[in-house]
Amino acid sequence: MNVPLSAYEGIVGPAVLRELRQLGEKLAGTRVVHVNSTREGGGVAEILEWMTPIMKELGLNASWEVINGTPRFFDITKAIHNGLQGAHVEIPVKGWKTYEDVNARNFKRLRPILEAADIVFIHDPQPADLLRLCTRRKGKWIWRAHIDISRPFRPVWKVLRSLVEPYDASIFSMAQFAQPLPHPQFLVPPSIDPLSEKNRDLPSVEIEAVQSEYGLDPSRPLLVQISRFDRFKDPVGVVAAYHMVRKVAKVQLVLAGGGATDDPEGKAVLEDVMEAAGNDPDIHVLLLPPDSHKTVNALQRMATIILQKSTREGFGLTVTEGMWKGKPVIGGDVGGIRLQVVNHHTGFLVNTPEGAAHRIRYLLHHQEGIDRMGTTAREFVRENFLLTRHLREYLTLMLVTLHSNRGNLVEV
Amino acid sequence: MTPFVVKDCALLTRMSGLPPAINLRELRERIAVCVENVLFHHFCETTLRGTFDNPDYRNDFAVWAKLYLGDRVLAERLGILDPYEYSSLGELRAATLEVIDERLGESTTIPWARPGDEIYFMEATTVVFDTGIRISHPGEFAAAIGAMTGGSVYYHFLEARRRSPFGKDDFTAWLLENDEGGKNRPYIEALARIDFYFHTLPHLRRELIKVLSALEDTK
Repeated sequence: MNVPLSAYEGIVGPAVLRELRQLGEKLAGTRVVHVNSTREGGGVAEILEWMTPIMKELGLNASWEVINGTPRFFDITKAIHNGLQGAHVEIPVKGWKTYEDVNARNFKRLRPILEAADIVFIHDPQPADLLRLCTRRKGKWIWRAHIDISRPFRPVWKVLRSLVEPYDASIFSMAQFAQPLPHPQFLVPPSIDPLSEKNRDLPSVEIEAVQSEYGLDPSRPLLVQISRFDRFKDPVGVVAAYHMVRKVAKVQLVLAGGGATDDPEGKAVLEDVMEAAGNDPDIHVLLLPPDSHKTVNALQRMATIILQKSTREGFGLTVTEGMWKGKPVIGGDVGGIRLQVVNHHTGFLVNTPEGAAHRIRYLLHHQEGIDRMGTTAREFVRENFLLTRHLREYLTLMLVTLHSNRGNLVEV
Repeated sequence: MTPFVVKDCALLTRMSGLPPAINLRELRERIAVCVENVLFHHFCETTLRGTFDNPDYRNDFAVWAKLYLGDRVLAERLGILDPYEYSSLGELRAATLEVIDERLGESTTIPWARPGDEIYFMEATTVVFDTGIRISHPGEFAAAIGAMTGGSVYYHFLEARRRSPFGKDDFTAWLLENDEGGKNRPYIEALARIDFYFHTLPHLRRELIKVLSALEDTK
């Protein structure tokens, strides 16, 4: 669904859109190519789905290309992905050969557009080898790492590093996710789209439908954690916190997420959660299909408090989504959650189930705190984590890169 | 009278290339050798980042000292450093190192952060562009500032102080240039009274509008 930039005016105000249009004017006609490995599913495709048409609307000659791969190629790139995130994976020489061959086949197809581009954004490791193949490139090439490579498995990073070092720049979501590289490493945090199905305003009738579908009681406080059933998200710790709160308040808990059925580790975590939940009718463990955006939206809007009690986290966009719905967040004191949750302002950072229980009880006794923090949280997201800020940083990055200027002030 | 040219800016943050610091001694070492742009980023460009109504401290070093080194004394001493009081970033660097050295001298152990709580050193490129908007009379400032982006307010009122004429915001510099017969003095004096460093950007904008509107109301 292509939404025109003007649709965001009521959310971010005219000055922000004027700024984007002025930056766009400076880049009018610039040939920009984004390359990733999937058209649908996953955060990268979600970003490119809105970013490419809006760049076009701003006057850039933007396109989005997707590399085609074999199941074997995607097994290899999944292993590379896991290795970059620290898993000890073994990728045989012929696995890297498959990686190179698929990139070479895609290069043949994409060659004219890649050679002619002024700026090429290569997203994540899957198409990273295209730069080596594009010897007649004339534009600037930027590698965008959407994942946390702060503690990679060294043998995997060693190979990938040799592929990304020749790029003109790279982009990471947070300083903590970056690795030293011999070119500028820009920092661009992710964002949410306030008009997407997961974040748009919902009429109360749609919220009520989800409420009755899952048997939730609107008259009692609701705690919601949306995340995969993954140990690092600590769903069992959330149930423990719920039990501590439940002694004094008749709260309800929703743990909702997907991805457990095809993931043996996820299945084991889900079983642990079910065991911890027992027969408590006020604990709702929901295994949702990946396209349940409206359900997630409604659950977050119904919540009294959003939880994200991770013990390890990337950026934590579910925190951003909860904050955008005007809810305080009780989150783990890790990763990108720290950039978003500030004690007493947008919620509380916690390290243990006890800490989470304490803050939940505190908030339940301070309705005015829930309201105030929720309002601050929404405004904080409006200022910092909406797609308009994300787009502004990409446009700025293009201007800086095209001006080949590493100084601290660039007039355009 | 040459009209005031309203510009806007967008900040692009990048890694400085310095390794992160995990203890106070490493912080000192990095601050001693970093390029001035890194100091400027952690002291001044923090204003452009998202923050809250009552942030404890306005520079990243003070925040890190409090949250991750757990050293409130150091945080308070670093937190009161006002980068705009110094005539150069070199002087600011010397003052910062003096505070850290004093604290290292007082401490029996070096304060450490936990792994994962290191401080990272960044810098930024400011991309500046003309908005096409012009102000031709001081009386138009309040309304124009109300319609500006945070980037414009930052560029003209804070970032301007590191450009020539050093230490002056762009509004004041323009008012001085066009001060025929001293008629701009009230505006210049009102702007000079703003304790701008400890304001967040939204507060600063409100304060600018308030003081400039008050002058119009008294006419």
